[in-house]
Amino acid sequence: MAQVKAGSMRVQAKKNKVHVFDIVNYIVFVIIALIVLIPIWKVLVDSFNSVGVYRFMLWPEDFTFNGYLTIFTTVRLYRPFLNSVITTVLGTLLGLILSTLGGYVLTQKDMPGRNALSFFLLFTMIFSGGMIPEYLVMKQLHLVDTMWILVIKHGMNVYNLVLMKNFFEGIPESLFEAAKIDGCSPMGIFFKIVLPLSKAALASIGLMYAVTVWNDYSTVQIYITNPDQVNFQYKLRVMIMDGDTPTTAYKVSQNTLYYAAIVVAILPFMAAYPFLQKYFVQGVNVGAVKE
Amino acid sequence: MSKKQNVTTTSTGAPINQKPLGTRIWNNRGYYLMFLPVLVFVIIIYYWPMLGVRYAFYQYKLKNITWVGLKNFETMFGKKEFWSAFTNTLQISITKLLITTFTSVLVSVFLNEMHNLFAKKSLQTIIYLPHFMSWAVVAAIFQLFLSTSSTGFVNETLKSMGLIAKSIDFLHSKQLWRPIFYIINIWKETGWGTVIFLATLSGINPELYEAADIDGASRLQKIWYVTVPALMNTVIIVLILNLAKVLNLFESVFVLYNNRVFDVSDVISTYVYRQTFLTAIPDYGYTTAVGLFKSIVGCVLVLVCNWASKKIRGRGII
Amino acid sequence: MKKKVLSLLLSTAMVASLAACGSETAPADTTATETAPADTATEAAPADTAAAEDYTLETLNIVVDGTVTATVESGQKEFEEQWEAAVAEKLGHPVDLVINQLDHSDYAGTVSRLLTTGEPGDGSYPDALIMSATMLRQYQTTGLLWDMADAYANAEFQSRVTLPTVNENMKDSEGHLYGFAPTYGNGCVTYVKQSWLDAVGMKADDIKTFDDYYAMLKAFTENDPDGNGSAGTYGVIAAGFGKLDEAPYINYMPEFWQGAYPSFYQKDGVWVDGFQEQATVDALARLAQGVADGVIDPDTEDAGTKQAREKFFSNDQTTSEGVFTYWAGTWLRTLTTNMEKQEVDNDLGDNRLVQLAPIQEIKDTWGGYLNREAPVWVITDDQDGNSAREQAIFDALLETMLDGDRVQTLWTYGAEDVHWSIHAEEFSTNADDPEKKKDYSYEEGQFHLKQSPNDPNSVWKKNHLDAVLVIAPLTNGYVDNDELVQAGNKFFTENCVDAPAAASCDTLAENNEALVEEKTTLMKQAVAGEITPEEAIAQYQADFGDIAQQILDELNAQ
Repeated sequence: MAQVKAGSMRVQAKKNKVHVFDIVNYIVFVIIALIVLIPIWKVLVDSFNSVGVYRFMLWPEDFTFNGYLTIFTTVRLYRPFLNSVITTVLGTLLGLILSTLGGYVLTQKDMPGRNALSFFLLFTMIFSGGMIPEYLVMKQLHLVDTMWILVIKHGMNVYNLVLMKNFFEGIPESLFEAAKIDGCSPMGIFFKIVLPLSKAALASIGLMYAVTVWNDYSTVQIYITNPDQVNFQYKLRVMIMDGDTPTTAYKVSQNTLYYAAIVVAILPFMAAYPFLQKYFVQGVNVGAVKE
Repeated sequence: MSKKQNVTTTSTGAPINQKPLGTRIWNNRGYYLMFLPVLVFVIIIYYWPMLGVRYAFYQYKLKNITWVGLKNFETMFGKKEFWSAFTNTLQISITKLLITTFTSVLVSVFLNEMHNLFAKKSLQTIIYLPHFMSWAVVAAIFQLFLSTSSTGFVNETLKSMGLIAKSIDFLHSKQLWRPIFYIINIWKETGWGTVIFLATLSGINPELYEAADIDGASRLQKIWYVTVPALMNTVIIVLILNLAKVLNLFESVFVLYNNRVFDVSDVISTYVYRQTFLTAIPDYGYTTAVGLFKSIVGCVLVLVCNWASKKIRGRGII
Repeated sequence: MKKKVLSLLLSTAMVASLAACGSETAPADTTATETAPADTATEAAPADTAAAEDYTLETLNIVVDGTVTATVESGQKEFEEQWEAAVAEKLGHPVDLVINQLDHSDYAGTVSRLLTTGEPGDGSYPDALIMSATMLRQYQTTGLLWDMADAYANAEFQSRVTLPTVNENMKDSEGHLYGFAPTYGNGCVTYVKQSWLDAVGMKADDIKTFDDYYAMLKAFTENDPDGNGSAGTYGVIAAGFGKLDEAPYINYMPEFWQGAYPSFYQKDGVWVDGFQEQATVDALARLAQGVADGVIDPDTEDAGTKQAREKFFSNDQTTSEGVFTYWAGTWLRTLTTNMEKQEVDNDLGDNRLVQLAPIQEIKDTWGGYLNREAPVWVITDDQDGNSAREQAIFDALLETMLDGDRVQTLWTYGAEDVHWSIHAEEFSTNADDPEKKKDYSYEEGQFHLKQSPNDPNSVWKKNHLDAVLVIAPLTNGYVDNDELVQAGNKFFTENCVDAPAAASCDTLAENNEALVEEKTTLMKQAVAGEITPEEAIAQYQADFGDIAQQILDELNAQ
């Protein structure tokens, strides 16, 4: 906020001059925006255009829904989509449960062993077993070749847990003391005080989990070979790399289908993004960097 | 948001409560119970696999597991593919880090100079977007745009402008692969990178600018003498934070590389992946050894960066 | 400081306790018991199935590649149901068939992952799976595969086998049979687009030597065969200049490779390393010339088979190719149908593609197009020293696969009333397009293939087994009378010779990957003109000369 005020003060101070700098700045702004937007817009337009053209168009020439219809009527395409939805919902829930529980417990200053537990968690951020040992463990747990691997692997994220803890530490301690005097159990405090006061944190961190699970491609690439269990990101990738267009009742050009699949792969977050942007940004600002 | 990371420092926050340890543990039994699920998951997902690093000292082909001591490491250090992957990882990672940090700073400075709040917010919204796309999606988009087919956006546009005569196979070219990789990274991550710098810039004392005004400084001079120095500390922190992660390069490379550009694009993780999962009869022991090497070097990097971070800003990164 | 030590201790204690349970569970074969509930195990097992002893197979996990064309979206469920029904009737007890069709461009790698990390009976471990001849050679020495020589010799289908040599050739030097081939291998023939030949004024019959062939490629590249008035076309495309990881390596570009064989093969009874021979140097030089002249589509370098063929029959012919060497018989039909779908050369109908007779250089060296070693079915051995499980798998899967009747029909054509039918019916493909519309009409009792389940505009072709390649034909008289397929098969069988047998020895198994990678890299460099073919071979000899010699010594000592 301070910066905004400062800015407007400075603008007032120099109101009389329209700086060359400002014009240049606006031009640079438009260019930057276009660099980001043109590819996204082209993807969107081409997904509705029945013939593949290389040109950039503002609007589809020959409008069609067949790309989307193909995706949602072909089992090899809509099943991965459903898998993505399921794993994202469950992964986010599991992630939120574990990180709120863990984060909450780690704020208990007079709990013996708190530092040891913290270290136990943080050590995992320094050293890992590596790809093969992880694979072998997941195999033993019968998680290989199932989409649940996505839920389990992302459900426990130490970094998010620490962020959650940081959020909780912002809650005034007097509230806890009052609750304890009222005879609230740890669980009671957790549900009655901590969670209601942390809605913004839950939104931010929940979004971080959701984005991670939804966008995950490499876990599927490594762990899943069963086509019934893959997620949409993987299917998208395989489809475009192998030039694999499923044959369906709908007449659809390869290009249209690919672009439609890309839109489906980004749509959930693109649609929610403008409304949730502040929660996304919040997550970073609470992160380790800001003093 | 001033959080003390008293994880490894025991001096701060010493409990005032001086009851016997047993009583304190009993009093906190509810909290231990709540922590149990977390503990179980951490053990399963992180600690159990750590046991698997023992395979680095075995030959592990199909069902045949035999102790070979340090042979896997000897093989590894003797392989030119491994060294190529190792140096590629460092080169690509560090170059990428420097370039995207630079572009983020640049855009942040411009954003900071924009005093039309609506324009500023809109641009922020736009440039954050690509960060939320997966690497699979970004690779798909750029693969389609850069393709040599008649619907390839970039090639056909360049051709129609008369800039090139024949399609360029960008992603299959040893000379062009890395530049393209950096450009895609700039497109995807520059915007999001500005979040941290904008947060810093919003904290600059406005009096500094006012003082500069009084001195008659131009806009560019103010940027150079006020804005940029204010950012330097954050830049260094961002670099250190990311330096700890340079070996983790995997997905972004994996979705964009191909066998024609292995020489310039293969990184440790993709090398391990291929040797393990795309080989007819792989030796899991050898690839575990490569993975262990990566983990150890990564561990050292984190500790070094942690030390550097403590030196510079008084607190670690973990 | 104290707490730090404490937490470290906690971590190590955790790791240690995990280590304890880790080593306990590592050899856990107990999972096998989970999948075999006791009640059903005791109840079934008819005594007359001699070899099955007291083992009853309840679940059959098979891993297959794309050659099982009844995929999930094209009637795999019905195939499974009908298979289960037919096999239950034959065996007298139900078997649950679980098909794991790998959706992975790298079949060999995925199979190794399944076999390395799984245990027989853990639910995802394959009981039987498809392997290429090369994979078979790699795995047959590992002890993971079951020797089915006895089962094969005593199989009921033996009386109907018309091509006994196919599986005799599969046996190793000691007579073990680790893989069973239900069909012979088939091979590739060279297809040329008739319209392009017409456009450049050439005739397929006149292409007799490599020079003729090369002149044709040049004409396709330079003389605007697509008639769009600009360049962009190529002579030929293939899935790789040579596919050095898949025998017979050279079959997608036989005209360029001619007599060369870039791997170990037997020449007059002696094993030699073909990659070091002059013939390979010459072949690489020809390929390099072809790339330099622009007659080979540069996409060839990285294209997979799917990419290559889709580019060949693409709707956009302006960057396509005139020549494509691909699998014989059924594929002639498939390529033609795909061209039709993409609206390429619709005026030519089934004459879109012309099959090129082997050029003189191929005839002089090999004698014709190469008939590859057939892909095989293998059965995994659970190494319990007892063949009951394995024999039961053989009986349920492979014995029935060639029963000449119901099950074989399922493997050959697919599921009844989904992929084929004997009931009267009429249907049309491309019903809404009067120009392409084609009507089909069949009487009651007449065997015919139906419309594809996933594409009403094409007629189903086949499932896993090719009716004309199978070693023991169907006895129920179900024949698909596609003239193009038959013409294609006839052409191939008249113009083919057996490919050299794959080599197999310990040193080769150990170094195969490295050899393939090295040779592929060198081949690409030589073809791209970065090094000369001679330098490529010299480099190979420097890197792998000793290993190659050791492999040859081992092979020749066998």
